[in-house]
Amino acid sequence: MRDLLVAAAIGVAFGWTLERAGLGDPPKLAGQFYLRDFTVLKVMMSALVTAMLGAFWLDRLGVVDLGKVYVPETVLLPQLVGGLVFGFGFVLSGLCPGTSCVALASGRGEGAATVLGLLVGMLLMGLAFPSLEAFYGATPIGAMTLPRLTGLPYGVVVAGITVACVGLLAAIGRWEARR
Amino acid sequence: MSTTRRLGLGALALGLLAPFAGSPHRAVSGALDFDAIARAIDDGSDHVSARQLGTWIRARKPGLRVVDVRDAKAFAEDAIPTAENLPIDRLVSTAFKPGETVVLYSQEGAHAGQAWVLLKALGVTDVVFVPGGLADWWEEVMTPVLPADMLAADRDAAADLSRYFGGFPQVGVANGEPVTPKTYRRRGC
Amino acid sequence: MTPRPYADPYLAGVGLGLVLLACFALSGQGLGASGAFASAASHVAGVVSKNAWVEGYLHGGSWMLVEVGGLIVGAGLSAWLAGRLAVSNAPSGRFAASLTGGILMGVGAALARGCTSGLALSGGALLGVGAWVFMIALFAAGFLAAPLLRRLWA
Repeated sequence: MRDLLVAAAIGVAFGWTLERAGLGDPPKLAGQFYLRDFTVLKVMMSALVTAMLGAFWLDRLGVVDLGKVYVPETVLLPQLVGGLVFGFGFVLSGLCPGTSCVALASGRGEGAATVLGLLVGMLLMGLAFPSLEAFYGATPIGAMTLPRLTGLPYGVVVAGITVACVGLLAAIGRWEARR
Repeated sequence: MSTTRRLGLGALALGLLAPFAGSPHRAVSGALDFDAIARAIDDGSDHVSARQLGTWIRARKPGLRVVDVRDAKAFAEDAIPTAENLPIDRLVSTAFKPGETVVLYSQEGAHAGQAWVLLKALGVTDVVFVPGGLADWWEEVMTPVLPADMLAADRDAAADLSRYFGGFPQVGVANGEPVTPKTYRRRGC
Repeated sequence: MTPRPYADPYLAGVGLGLVLLACFALSGQGLGASGAFASAASHVAGVVSKNAWVEGYLHGGSWMLVEVGGLIVGAGLSAWLAGRLAVSNAPSGRFAASLTGGILMGVGAALARGCTSGLALSGGALLGVGAWVFMIALFAAGFLAAPLLRRLWA
């Protein structure tokens, strides 16, 4: 029960934040891929770095045990292909699963259409699964993390990603200033 | 200095300090967290008895996942109630969510123990196995022999659990002679 | 009421990161969205075909569904308070594109076991390899496909 209350609270905060950033507006999201509107990258990179640094430091301070947090498993081929297919769909809709719900909640027709499409796409996958099972389970390497894969210490990878993301956001800032 | 700038610099500071802060629990340089696994084996938190599993199933423990790691044919012939069949090659590519308690079993426990180590190496935290496997299930739950000198409360609980699963508990001594247990044992791993 | 302007993306991003962090701390997992769609779809597919994928989501619990329910409530509340709540039809041509995009994302998210929030963001913050692979692939595909869809977003 407590789990579900937490889920609901997190969901509300999540939806609120996405809507505040304007991520329920398809032209805004699609604009990222035309380098017109960098909101998507700004929000994603800031969120990722914040959560990554927060999780790392809370673990070091003993508040959170990172070992107990669920890391999504890595299945290389399906996630690579899935990412490519997903990206194409993303530019078509100008929305992703989370933001399609934001658009829907704001009353946008595109939101409803994307949500419907998502359900249909998932349904097709569920029905076709037996024929896809082999590909779906190809190249699993478990809950692999970048530090374990590269052999670099966790903190070094955290530093690297922070520098890369902050650098990217700084570059975006300079690009926008010049336009 | 703008807020954005300050946030960026703050992030850089926290990020660049990270390599000097040591490694989080999970990030052991190798696939196995030897210490944690060795500790679990030592203190016995790596396994549960078949009877304990039976109580969990009966109580509908939330998040319980009973996993049979044998092949499909063996699973079809006989299995623990509510079990799902995940042979080891499929097991390692299954993602278990937090809040799920995974209980592994095999015919006699050896394969389940191996699967346990694999899942621990893959980062699954809440996983145990039944050391005697399906054979223990039959011995402890389905056809347990409950001697008369056992504590009445324990005996009744065990007999009750057995009957819940449709088993045949043998309580006490019959006609002055010890009752030979009906066992169901198959050679296997 | 004239719609309020959107929040600063960096502040919103940090806010989102803090929500995600709270999620890690309070529930031991990241947040997500596609899982709810998979769960819903598995209930329908399960009527016709019981396979490993369907079974997995049928027995996967309702955490994600509840979270996405909250998402809709939170987004609706924010939109309403900001004067951005308005029922509108998709511009012509965009409905079909949105629907198709949704289908493709449904397929992609099913294959990847997640989407931008559940896999890329949550998994990425935890340095998951698959998360980064997925994230790079999706942005690459988006940028490559964009020139083909220029007329859609003119």
